[in-house]
Amino acid sequence: MAEKLSWSDLRRALAARANVSEKEANAFLTALNAQIIEALKSDKQVKINGLGTFKLQAVATRKSVNVKTGEEITIEGYNKVAFVPEAGVKELVEKGSGTQSTEHRAQTDNAAKIADVDPIQKLGAQAEEIVDLLGDLGQSPKEEEPVVEEPKAEEMVVEEPKPEETVVVVEQPEVSVQPAEEPVAEDPKAEEPKQEEKPKKKSHFWRDTLICVVVLLILLVVGYFFLREQISGWVDSIVNGIHEKTEMQAGEANEDQNAVSFEDEQNAAGSVATNESDAEELEFTYTKLITTERLTNGSRLAWLARKYYGSPVYWPYIYAANRDRVSDPDMITIGTAIRVPQLTKEQLDTTNTQVIRLLDKLQRAN
Amino acid sequence: MLTKELIGQVVNTTKLTKKNAEQLLATTTAIMRENLLAGKAVQLQGIGSLEMKERKARTIVHPRTGERSIAPSKNQLVFKPVGNLKDELKKI
Repeated sequence: MAEKLSWSDLRRALAARANVSEKEANAFLTALNAQIIEALKSDKQVKINGLGTFKLQAVATRKSVNVKTGEEITIEGYNKVAFVPEAGVKELVEKGSGTQSTEHRAQTDNAAKIADVDPIQKLGAQAEEIVDLLGDLGQSPKEEEPVVEEPKAEEMVVEEPKPEETVVVVEQPEVSVQPAEEPVAEDPKAEEPKQEEKPKKKSHFWRDTLICVVVLLILLVVGYFFLREQISGWVDSIVNGIHEKTEMQAGEANEDQNAVSFEDEQNAAGSVATNESDAEELEFTYTKLITTERLTNGSRLAWLARKYYGSPVYWPYIYAANRDRVSDPDMITIGTAIRVPQLTKEQLDTTNTQVIRLLDKLQRAN
Repeated sequence: MLTKELIGQVVNTTKLTKKNAEQLLATTTAIMRENLLAGKAVQLQGIGSLEMKERKARTIVHPRTGERSIAPSKNQLVFKPVGNLKDELKKI
């Protein structure tokens, strides 16, 4: 494990650094710690500049199972002390200079240095290394040339990015570069720049596709509006034509019916009646409120509907009763007082298709 | 409680002046930071200990795209409260 800076070490270091006696340093540190604990108890939070914040975090009561017996037990909620480092401190720590990771740090530093170098230079250096290695392997120098040239081709693209065509052309040499680089894999330096190179290409690719998609979308939208106007004109003319026809037919039919048919009249009366009931259903009214409930964190209209009406499907009623307070049923504000209307039996009958239609309408109407 | 208030409390219970206390606190935190960054665990008597530990690299899944990637290893500060304080604060 790591070494410790014990309490007395801290005291001594403080005395030396701040030019005070050890006694004074001790008095300060003891008072400091006592106050931190006191503050944790009273305020549940202590912020210490230059270090971080000690917090008291509540852990909620939860259910668990006794592993041996399978019995359900409840674990009571409790508080725990947590420490959140200050942003600057956290950053320093993440960069890390721990004893166990000194090597690691050296590597990352190295990588950072390489990252600072211009990518073109990197490619050049990389190519040189490849040439060296190939030379070591005793292979013919012909193979080296394409490797050296290819990065140049990439340079061109880096300097003047063009649309997709050039990108496609460049991607092919990349494929051919990779096998040539594989023997270098042992060398971490050569590998790292390669990794950094790829995302660049990718971002090029993504940018191009993004532009394409945006252009397509714009075209679609423009086309949609253009077509819609035309089509609506069409549809209007067709509908008008049909209307005229039906009116003509209806007129004829009326003349026919005037002659006889007692039954038909009855039917007509019936249909009028159903139409009337339709109209009644379509208007949602309520006279009494069951209650008004304040929304708490996590509650929804559907839950209220289940609580008061027995099923979440009736939530549009609640929504309808609270139009003035709830603009979007998916985004309700915590603390809003929601009116829960008293509903009649007919309104709570999901076997009735009219009720379902009403619910559907309430849900959609904004 | 903020640092200012904390210093005020410390000043109330000791003979130190506010300026002195501020200076001492700054020095203390500086010492602690240096030691923490050097990989040492710092003990705070009666409170607990702070230590820098390595958090290992792990694979993470992007919740929306389901893409898998590697979160690199990093160091983080770990605080371990003293048993006494832990029990004392459990029920407040």
